[in-house]
Amino acid sequence: MIEACITAAQTVTGLGPDLESLWRGCLAGESAIRPLNRFATGRYLSGNASCVDGLEAAGGSRLYPLLERLLDGFPAVPRDCLLITASTKGCVDVMETVQELGAGAPGQVPMADLLRRISERFGLGAPALNINAACASSTIAVARAAALIAAGRSEAVLVVCMDLVSEFVFSGFSALQALSPGVCRPFDRNRDGLTLGEGGAALLLMSRERAAREGRPELGVVAGWGAANDATHITAPARDGCGLIQSVRQALCRAAIEPGEIAAISAHGTATPYNDLMELTAFGAVFGGRRLPVHSVKGSIGHTLGAAGGIEVALGLRCLEAGTLPPTVGLREPEEMGEGAVSCSAQPIRGRYLLSTNSGFGGVNAALILRQGGV
Amino acid sequence: MMAAFLTGIGWVTGAGFGTGRQGGDCSFPELPLPSLTRKDVFPEPNQRFGRMSDYAKLGLAATAFALRDAGLEAWSEKRPIGVVASTRFGCLATDLDYHGTVQLQGGGLASPNLFAYTLANCFLGDAAIQFGLTGSSVAINESGEDRLGALRLALEALLMGEADTMLAGVCDLPAPRRYAGETGQAPGAAFLVLTLAAPAAPAPYGSVALAGGDGGVLFNGSPQVGLQQLIDSALAGRTAR
Repeated sequence: MIEACITAAQTVTGLGPDLESLWRGCLAGESAIRPLNRFATGRYLSGNASCVDGLEAAGGSRLYPLLERLLDGFPAVPRDCLLITASTKGCVDVMETVQELGAGAPGQVPMADLLRRISERFGLGAPALNINAACASSTIAVARAAALIAAGRSEAVLVVCMDLVSEFVFSGFSALQALSPGVCRPFDRNRDGLTLGEGGAALLLMSRERAAREGRPELGVVAGWGAANDATHITAPARDGCGLIQSVRQALCRAAIEPGEIAAISAHGTATPYNDLMELTAFGAVFGGRRLPVHSVKGSIGHTLGAAGGIEVALGLRCLEAGTLPPTVGLREPEEMGEGAVSCSAQPIRGRYLLSTNSGFGGVNAALILRQGGV
Repeated sequence: MMAAFLTGIGWVTGAGFGTGRQGGDCSFPELPLPSLTRKDVFPEPNQRFGRMSDYAKLGLAATAFALRDAGLEAWSEKRPIGVVASTRFGCLATDLDYHGTVQLQGGGLASPNLFAYTLANCFLGDAAIQFGLTGSSVAINESGEDRLGALRLALEALLMGEADTMLAGVCDLPAPRRYAGETGQAPGAAFLVLTLAAPAAPAPYGSVALAGGDGGVLFNGSPQVGLQQLIDSALAGRTAR
């Protein structure tokens, strides 16, 4: 089996224009969640979100300037690189403009247009695809990229993950009573819903041999992956965590490691009552009584939907490099099952492997195991 | 080169709906899709079907027909079967319906039921519940035109040992007005069932494999230019047997 190394990672989030600003902000316990002024929120449960500063919709979607910031300065990618994107709603803001104002370019709404733009930017000729698996989209995109490399079907895969804060999505989570009226509090006993965010991540995966040949750094390795469906409900997680348990066990099997070798967890941690309890239940089933350090980034940058898993992988690489898991922002009083695992302070990572998980609508669950680079 | 067996085909298109072993052809004419009722798809009452979006009904029906054709519709325990669905417009029609509710009273009347169906992968959750499918389930959008992307992903999952059985196919409603553009793709849904092991019954339609590194798809060893050709080849072999 060929190992898939991550040779470049970049993010754009509410905490800043790059991975370094995300890392420093998370470590300092900062939050980018602010009152929204992108659209009127008076009829919704919440008025807060984490937005990327200064995104203007000139020329179509806000996704375009977000991608510009994300990909400007990103290392060149090989021409034979495959492209996999992850987004749940793509240029949803263009659809809003078309429907509300009769203006805008409807041709920008299908994801094929975004795939073409990103492919052209990097001069990639092979067919590209976008993964839509709700809030696990980018986790599954990274898994597919790693699988392509592991199977020897490609030596390099670029994964680009992105989603926006839009009234379309904001109103929907409000209608589902899933938004926190204030700011989200992942794994807190008194958590009351999620806070939305926007952002993007770009990750370049390569076979170790190709990376070495091109003199690329090895930031980390995607050692294992898994994905499974709860098959119980369209919008709610299975209370017993069956799909997430299955995903994590698949990832452990693929990585050929024991649960005891996982040193920390980057959880989905949306701060909805059901999601967080489901995750803690699943982690308890896999890791038994062992209390691993668990982190959720949602209190810092909100829930970035299809971009979440990609951003969390990039952040996870920094965590492994530094040997530190940032504080879970918003957490005050841990959920009983999370006591000794989640923390509002930074926690040390004593090991080489980090588990990163996401779950979403449609019963989707996905897990990745990252190994520290250069070890 | 590892191959999978093609064991089931199901479709809903402008020409009608059916399964491979029922007879008939799976073509994608530029005709309106049939208006599916629960009785067209499931013999037993199904409370959820009537509440689903048209996109979800279309996708669920085609997956149901494919599983029926493969003899896999009935189940008693959940099964690690995965699904990959390729779509160009996804749930855009539902998005527009939902957005209509957002525009009423400043979003105060936004419909939670419609919002639940504003993800392209939503019907895969319905299929997972209906048929006990616990494998990975994803929707994809392709930049290519051959409509074989879902099949490639499914074959790769089989190749990597991530599943023993996968469903792969396409699902699209007619493009909403304003958004149609030059798609060159007629609406409809078709799903194929792929298994690593040859089933005792029914006899497989043939073998499907990934060619070398170029991403090509082979049916019984012959390169296929697109999903339509692959389905035609499989159904032609049906009469030859």
